[in-house]
Amino acid sequence: MSKQYLTLHTVDQAHPTEIFSLAPTPTTLISASGSSHLLIHSTTTSPTFPLVQTLSNAHRLGCHHVTTARGLGSPGNTFVSVGFGGETKVWRCDPEQSESDKWSLYWTLPTPANKKEKGDVWAVALSADEGYLAATTSDGRIHVWDLEAQQKVQTYETGASAGGGGGGQESNGGVVGSGSFAMAVDLSRDGKFTASGHENGGVYVFNNDAGRMVYSLSGLAKPIRAVAFSPGCKRLAAAGNAGIIAIYDMQHGEHVANLSATGARPAWITSIDWNDTGEYLLSGSLDGKVRVWDVARGVCVATHSETESALWCVRWLPKSEKALAPGMGKGEMFVAAGANRSLTFYREATGS
Amino acid sequence: MYFCPIRNQFLHRPSQPTTSNAHGQLSPPLRQPGPSSVRAGSSRLPRNIVFIPQSQSNDDVLAKIETLFETIVDAVSVGGPIIIPYRRSTNEQAFNPTASVPNPRDGRHMDTVRFPGRNPQELRRFEALFRIIELSHEALLSGTLITKRNIYYQNMELFRSQSVVDEMVDNLAFTLGVGRGDLNIVATAKGLIAGQVKLMMRGGICINCAESSDSGVLLPSISAVDRIDFQSVKWLLATFRTLSASLYHTVSRAGSGILVTGKGYPDLATRKFLATVHSVRPRLPMFALVDFDPHGISILRTYQYGSQRLDHEERTKVPRLRWLGIRSSDVLSHTVITQDLSANSQDSQSSQDLSSQESIAYSVDTFQDERPVKRPRTRRTKSHAGDCTSPLSDGDREKAVSVLRNICTTARIDTAGREHKLELQRMLMLNVKAEIQAVDEFGDITNWLDERLLSHSR
Repeated sequence: MSKQYLTLHTVDQAHPTEIFSLAPTPTTLISASGSSHLLIHSTTTSPTFPLVQTLSNAHRLGCHHVTTARGLGSPGNTFVSVGFGGETKVWRCDPEQSESDKWSLYWTLPTPANKKEKGDVWAVALSADEGYLAATTSDGRIHVWDLEAQQKVQTYETGASAGGGGGGQESNGGVVGSGSFAMAVDLSRDGKFTASGHENGGVYVFNNDAGRMVYSLSGLAKPIRAVAFSPGCKRLAAAGNAGIIAIYDMQHGEHVANLSATGARPAWITSIDWNDTGEYLLSGSLDGKVRVWDVARGVCVATHSETESALWCVRWLPKSEKALAPGMGKGEMFVAAGANRSLTFYREATGS
Repeated sequence: MYFCPIRNQFLHRPSQPTTSNAHGQLSPPLRQPGPSSVRAGSSRLPRNIVFIPQSQSNDDVLAKIETLFETIVDAVSVGGPIIIPYRRSTNEQAFNPTASVPNPRDGRHMDTVRFPGRNPQELRRFEALFRIIELSHEALLSGTLITKRNIYYQNMELFRSQSVVDEMVDNLAFTLGVGRGDLNIVATAKGLIAGQVKLMMRGGICINCAESSDSGVLLPSISAVDRIDFQSVKWLLATFRTLSASLYHTVSRAGSGILVTGKGYPDLATRKFLATVHSVRPRLPMFALVDFDPHGISILRTYQYGSQRLDHEERTKVPRLRWLGIRSSDVLSHTVITQDLSANSQDSQSSQDLSSQESIAYSVDTFQDERPVKRPRTRRTKSHAGDCTSPLSDGDREKAVSVLRNICTTARIDTAGREHKLELQRMLMLNVKAEIQAVDEFGDITNWLDERLLSHSR
């Protein structure tokens, strides 16, 4: 049984240049592009998804990652953005403010003073309670920050002598060899695990309580661009240049399934996202196609593409309580964005 | 006639710089050229030959140096400290005029060099600078050119490294407000040129750039060129590395053209040459071909916007240089000719596909009389991005961010700058780089070049 999704609306040319990342909150969508502004569009007030706030000159060289906390209980008050210059900014929402001023800068992460610890921040992920931020670097480290205390609490290493090290309050770097560029990171919604995906095809899972690596997952030899824990925290999905999505079970660290499209050489996958029920995975790739996968059955149930231009990010929108407009169903929505600079919103055809 | 305090005698005004002929002797300089004109003003010269305009500031430089020497002599005679003004061209933006308190440990950030110095480093710097001024003075008086390499070898212990000489020469030129060539100091020629053009030099020699059999002839300094015969050249392509010896400029379907090879970051002579060609032939399309990596884009920008260190030099930029490639779109969706007819037909044809399935190529060795050889019928399929790319190294990523910063801190980013910014961001997102070889077909880049040059001239 395939699912039907319709293009609900496209915010054309939302950004002046390519859109690299998206992050949804319960009421808005935050988008980042090669230009220096971050845009916030409303996702619950109108089917035209109007722009409600612009954060000007947030990142001078452009921004490549934005992230919010996922999960039904998340407050939706925080997001984190990372610019091409490596600057990492934490933004908070003040519900008291008017719509166009809600979000403001809360904190900018300090850049490492120690030269040995350099390695620009690349990917970021927020814990479900918005208390912790995981940030990866180009030399394969994953730093975990406590956002309230504004302090680094943990550093996971994935270099040559890693896999056991990295525990304790403070990392005194310099011991470990440089790891492979960590291009993707995710925190499980129950706070238990951190996962990272690397340029050399490595996928590592760390136990946050114990503070050490628990799984080193194999199966994808090509660079990993996206990793995502399922909402129930039982599975981890990883995808990248291999063009297939690998699913791992978190109880034993086993590679349990592969999701792949037909065709000899599938395009590089840039982004994956689980829906809130954990039944469906969304994937976006460089050939412009966004796919919905039924994970249990292991098949692709819908494929859409607006253009052939690359997609950099795809995200499910949190299920809303009420319909977007009178007469519209409450079907699940997702959004895709990329080289065509537009935000394209899709909705499941069968409403309820 | 004028009095030179260094030689303590009266001297004649110096002559124009000349290049020596094959026997190593100086040829008498030609008459001064007439006012520059794109088309020859008189009816004697055909349209395809243009005069190269020359800068006239030679006498100024000598006067400036002489004045400098006079102040030195004055200082010596009264027993006071000798001060030579010395500004760094790279410090221009960072220069803080309010920092007047001298740092006792390090005199590097001052805009003068003193004798007696504040520290041993300054003493060495003074001596080195003085030596360079002396050598330049001699060169100007005798009307010869001296290379930076030659300067270094005059006293290797004093200068310690070639780059010290290079930097000092440029900073000296910057301080005096002239170009390096005005000091009669040049760099050893690095760039290469190949194509159906003739360079008529001041000494009477004519360099035919079409005669070389492999990568071209060494590009001479533009100040030594009197006229250029463009013949029927239709385009100019600057690459940073020699294209394989395919004599592309003779077999191109876009017509006869000029290939200039910068061999990495282009040196001043190559940049001046291109800028001069653009100024005398503004309608000639000029392109650049570089690798898809941060250094490639940086090289491209050097051709277009110059470098901060040599910003004081005249006529070194070609802002309207067009970027032929390599771009991310070339790397991600390049079509490859294969014999495999069972290839995946789901992939749609790329928009750059030629409509015909055949292509006609001329045999390289004897292109004049051979009948055109048809290539076998083949199918074009998309090559995968992973085939021709490699990941960025840490140094590459740093360089990309640095060039991005460079672009974004200019007051107004022009269209080309926006394009460079986008490509750098894509490079960082994909974490890949690719060389020019990424778009060739089994080593032959002819078809790709034809396609690109033709589409740009439409």
